[in-house]
Parts: sequence; C-alpha cells; structure tokens
Amino acid sequence: MNGTPALRVEKLKKTYSTGVLALDGVSLEIGAGKFFGLLGPNGAGKTTLINSIVSLARPDSGSVEVFGRDAYEEFREARRMIGVSPQEINLDKFLTVEETMLFHAGYYGVPKDKARERAGELLERFALTDKRKQRVNTLSGGMKRRVLFARALMHDPKVLFLDEPTAGVDVELRYKLWGYIRELNHGGLTILLTTHYLEEAEALCEEVALINGGRIAAQGTSAELKERYGAASIEEVYLKVVGRDTGG
Amino acid sequence: MQTLIPSLLTSLLYLVVFGVALGGRIKQIEGIPYLEYILPGVALMNLVTGSQMNSSWSVFDAKRERYIDEVLIAPMSDLQIALAYSLGGTLRGVVMGAGVLLVGAPFVGVNIAHPGLLLLIGVLSAFTFSALGTMVGALATRIEHISFLTSVVIQPLAFLGGVFYSVGMLPEALRIATLFNPIFHTVDAARYATLEVSDLNPYPTIAVVFLLAALAFCGAWWAICRGPNLRY
Repeated sequence: MNGTPALRVEKLKKTYSTGVLALDGVSLEIGAGKFFGLLGPNGAGKTTLINSIVSLARPDSGSVEVFGRDAYEEFREARRMIGVSPQEINLDKFLTVEETMLFHAGYYGVPKDKARERAGELLERFALTDKRKQRVNTLSGGMKRRVLFARALMHDPKVLFLDEPTAGVDVELRYKLWGYIRELNHGGLTILLTTHYLEEAEALCEEVALINGGRIAAQGTSAELKERYGAASIEEVYLKVVGRDTGG
Repeated sequence: MQTLIPSLLTSLLYLVVFGVALGGRIKQIEGIPYLEYILPGVALMNLVTGSQMNSSWSVFDAKRERYIDEVLIAPMSDLQIALAYSLGGTLRGVVMGAGVLLVGAPFVGVNIAHPGLLLLIGVLSAFTFSALGTMVGALATRIEHISFLTSVVIQPLAFLGGVFYSVGMLPEALRIATLFNPIFHTVDAARYATLEVSDLNPYPTIAVVFLLAALAFCGAWWAICRGPNLRY
C-alpha cells in the first residue's frame, strides 16, 4: 500500500432525481495518513461526495478507489477499510450502546470476542462505559455523537469519514473530540473531515478543499491557500472563494 | 415475549371460537374433527402474518430513522442484506407458528403426521412472506403502506385461504379464485403435513410453495437494490 493514495476520486458526477446537480465532476486525492478537510456551505455536495464513496448514493459517472480498490467493483474490500461517522444521528433507538457497537462489528465480520474487547476499549476511550447498557434514545446529543464515533471505529478502518462531527455539540466536547481525532490521525488513520466550521478545518486539517456547487473550487494546505488568495485566515479564503463562485 | 404472547392468544381464540363454537355444527371435514382440521391453518396464519410484519417493519423503521445506512455501507451485497432481513422475519414467523402448534396440539389432541415436511413448509412459508415484507418495507414511503399490506392483503388472504374450511365446500368460481391465493397453498401443504388431508395434490402444492419463496425473494432483492429512499 506504500504510495497508494487512501482515496482517489475521479470526475464524480451526481444529479439527484429532482434535477439538482450535486457533484459536477469532482476529483480529489488524499494520501495515506493525511488529515483532509472538505469545506463548503450547506448544499455544496460534501455529504453527497461521502455518500457516493460509500455507495449510499449512486453517482452517474466517475470512479472511486480506496487504497487502490475500486469502491464499486471491489466494494467489500473498499467498504471494509472505511468508517463513517455521519452528519445525522442514525442510531437504532431500540438498541443499547453496547449492542450498537457489537451489531456494527457483526456487519463487518469482526469475530464476537474481538468485538467485545474492542467495544470495551472504545467505550472507555469515549467515556461511555457506564452507559453501555443504556438504550441510545436515553442519551444526550453529545453522548450520541460519541457513540457514532465509537461505532465508526469498531472495525478498525483505515479511512475515517467524519461528516460534520461536531455539529450541535458544546465547546468542551468539541475540543475533546478534536483531541481524539488528532490522536487517531497521529496513529496513522487517514481522515476526511467535512465541516462548515472553518476554525475546525484550520485547527485539524493538513490540506483543505473548498467545495461549492458540486465542484472543487480550491484546494491546498492552509498556508498555500492563504498565500494564493492573499488571505490571513481560512475564513477569508472561504469567503473569497465561495463569494466569487456565487458572484458575491 | 410481548410480541409472541398476543399472537398466541389470538390464535387460541380462533381455535376456541371457531373450533368449539362451530365445531358443534361442523363435526368433521374430510373425516377430520373440525378443531383438528383448522389447527394447521391457524398456525400458518400466525406464521405468515408474524413473518411479514417483522421484516416489513424492520426495513421500514430502519429506513425512516436512517440506521439502515449502517447496513448499506457495510461490506455486504444487496443479496446478503435482502437475505438477512428475510431470514429474520422467517425466524420470527416460525417461532410464532410453532408456538400455536405446541400450545394447540395437546389442547386439540392432534399428532403431526410428517413433522419434517411440516417444518419445511413452515420455513418456506415464513420465508416467502418475510421476503414479501422485506420488499414492501423497502418500497414503502409511508407507514400506511405497511399497514395496508397487513390488513388489506395478508389478513384477508389468510382468512380466505382455506384456514377454517375446505375449498371443496366453496362454489366453483370461488374455488378457482382460491387457487390464486398464495396463502391457500401454504395452508393446504401444512394441512397435508399435519393431518394427511389436503384439497389439492400435495406435491405440486409443495412445489408451488417453493416457487412462491423464490419469487418473493427475488422481489426482496430487487427492492433492496432499487427501493426508493434507500439510496440517494
């Protein structure tokens, strides 16, 4: 896998049945072990891009490779390498926290004894051990977010997609989650973070792409983007790029 | 238990009301005491409704709350996903049907003639209607669609499938119409396996049950691949 990008997306196009053009030939490449941010306003195509990679959306054309494996032709191998913490909380309200983790592990073929061990580790890491027997619908919003994180990591993925991971969480939890995400990345996990919190992208990401109207409008490291657009911050870059794209 | 006991009680009520009340008027059908005659059909009716309700609600709720996304992005094919939901409903249906037989058989005093065949029919029938439920759950866009399947399609077909009477007692036109009722074939095959009586030749009927299972599963598989609101 040396030198093989963690994710390669080529000319991905997606138009919804309503006629909305969500992705207009998006191409990007994320190196193994990188922390990549995808910024954009609501409706820019961030979630559609993630959904297209994990086969929740059916792109009209284009290709996706995960560590060299075609995401559609070799979907088992590709999906096994991906963990997703989605934007919306999509937990089965009838399951306990522990059941949520163990069922997820089952979907990925993780043996039961290994799954129990891994669940215990993750529950402890995310301070959910005392909640393990509680039904997820009794948890606070912040705890549910932590369960989503922990669930996404149960099968030990190589690439982690975090779709607006700190949306709706308080500041304290946001910083805690940042710390944990950094730790995961330092351990070698490739991360694709989508967010419209610009300080989050600036604080965490090595490289950033700005997506707007289904197209990558700009891409580079924070330093490169600031220099290119003569901006002092990513926020300024964002406003210049998105503003330019929308004619503002 | 809270899902098994109500359906068990309902089935026992059918046995008591139809069997005891009507059994005084209809002593026998084809030489079989009425209460014994209806037991396999009542068990099948419970099995069919239980299996399709389980899978249809499982898929629909998962889709509505979007925790089905977790399944759809897992390294499983659509075939595996359809099979998993169908088998889940099958298990529930078989347990519910078996429960009626286990409780009803001593009460009614019946010995099962071909237990292995009855198990096969039961599993196939449960699988057929569980697959149907999976398909409807994947295609449904509103709760009313699920309720429609149960109350307007499955239950009427069950009641009109020869559970409480022999099809031979019907006028010609209704007898022919009943042949197109899939539940009738499952009930008839189950009755043969239990009591060695049937309205039709049992082995072609069993073949029909196999065919129904295959068709229903193809429908479930297609619906998981292409159902609205499953993938974007």
